[in-house]
Amino acid sequence: MTGASFLRILKGAASAAVVALSLTACSLPGSGPGEREAWLEANDPFEPLNRAIFGINEAADFLVIGPAAYAYNAIVPDPVRESVRSFTANLLSPITIVNQLLQGDFDGAIHATGRFLTNTVLGAGGIADVATAAGIPDQKEDFGQTLAVWGFNEGPYVVLPFLGPSSMRDATGYAVDTLADPVRMWAANTDHEGAYMAKGIAGGIDRRSRVLKEVEDLRRNSVDYYATLRSLYRQQRKADIEEKAAVAQPDFPAFEKTPEAPAKKK
Amino acid sequence: MFDRTLTGRRALLKSVAGFAAAATLPLIARTALAQDPGASAFIQKLGDRAIKTFSDKGTKAAAKEKFRALLVEGFDIPYIGRWVLGRYWNVANDAQRQEYMALFERMIVDAYAGRFAEYSGETFKITGARPEGDADSTVTTQIVRPSGPPINVDWRVRKAGATYKIIDVAVEGVSMGVTQRSEFASVIQTNGGQFDGLLKVLRAKVAG
Repeated sequence: MTGASFLRILKGAASAAVVALSLTACSLPGSGPGEREAWLEANDPFEPLNRAIFGINEAADFLVIGPAAYAYNAIVPDPVRESVRSFTANLLSPITIVNQLLQGDFDGAIHATGRFLTNTVLGAGGIADVATAAGIPDQKEDFGQTLAVWGFNEGPYVVLPFLGPSSMRDATGYAVDTLADPVRMWAANTDHEGAYMAKGIAGGIDRRSRVLKEVEDLRRNSVDYYATLRSLYRQQRKADIEEKAAVAQPDFPAFEKTPEAPAKKK
Repeated sequence: MFDRTLTGRRALLKSVAGFAAAATLPLIARTALAQDPGASAFIQKLGDRAIKTFSDKGTKAAAKEKFRALLVEGFDIPYIGRWVLGRYWNVANDAQRQEYMALFERMIVDAYAGRFAEYSGETFKITGARPEGDADSTVTTQIVRPSGPPINVDWRVRKAGATYKIIDVAVEGVSMGVTQRSEFASVIQTNGGQFDGLLKVLRAKVAG
């Protein structure tokens, strides 16, 4: 995908979003019984706009991103894909380190710094993930997670053009991480914006290529794919933030009587 | 973000809860050790049978039928079906509930049969179990794949009399029940709170 066509799609998405926004800005709770609770639970006041952007993202995925990811998977040999993955992941390490520090997780910061140095020096600039092989697994931290540690709620759900599911908090975090990204600063200061953008696109295609089957499965088995992704995103973020230590379990009450199986009527 | 004071209070509650958890942790660890191993044994047996079913490359229809039997036996589908409806269970009348249950079971069987048809040599190992309330246990497992890192899957198992049934599955912290519940709520919401909207969508799903 060339930069120009990418920008054109981006522009198209932006103008479609503006149209959608001016048509229907917010969803409002219905007046039926329990509808207000359902509306609050969904925590998605921008749902009409979100669904519009989601539709555009899906179209882009169908036309460009998905096919590119399939082709990437089919054409590029495994070891090369591994290297792309390691290289782009390694470039994110400084963001993780800073966020570990901001979260007061000094052990995590030391761990991430060790990874970064190991992979940069011994892994030939990050193309080989020798740290994981040596038993130091990657654990990404972003500013959205830092905000969560600082006590910010996730806020309403938002769907970002091309980036997909997010929340007010996580989108803010993403913006801060991007601005503070040393790789981006280096690219901006040395006229390497093209390389930075290429890195972003390669990373995106790579990420998409890792979930080909999962996406197909979800699309096939969902009755409301948008709502499914919304729920998956939230739960995943919650699990990442709480690092599986104390994920609140949903309540599974005992129902007074288990409903009859439909086959045998009472 | 909009309710700072609430957030503060929740953080406080959380830390208090953290202290409480730390104090009771040895107790929980002991309970886990003393726990009835039935739930883990149940998951182990069910998993072994499932793997055996998928490895048998018989006809597709026969495999699906076997898998259906396994699913109905291992999962409390009526419970899950009702749980994922949440408050909407009370909105539905008897006829709607019955149709919903039939559709839900078909949908679940179709979805999982399709997933497991792609089985390619994964194995699983039980990594632990913890009690969950009075009647439940969560059995934690790892699905080991031929390539890629293992996946953590937690099975929430409820004991009723002498039998165990799965009532929820969480993959890497993502609960299938919670996901399904928000999806169904969304469908009903987009249909103006009408339960029939969900039935219509489910009918189309199992027919398609």
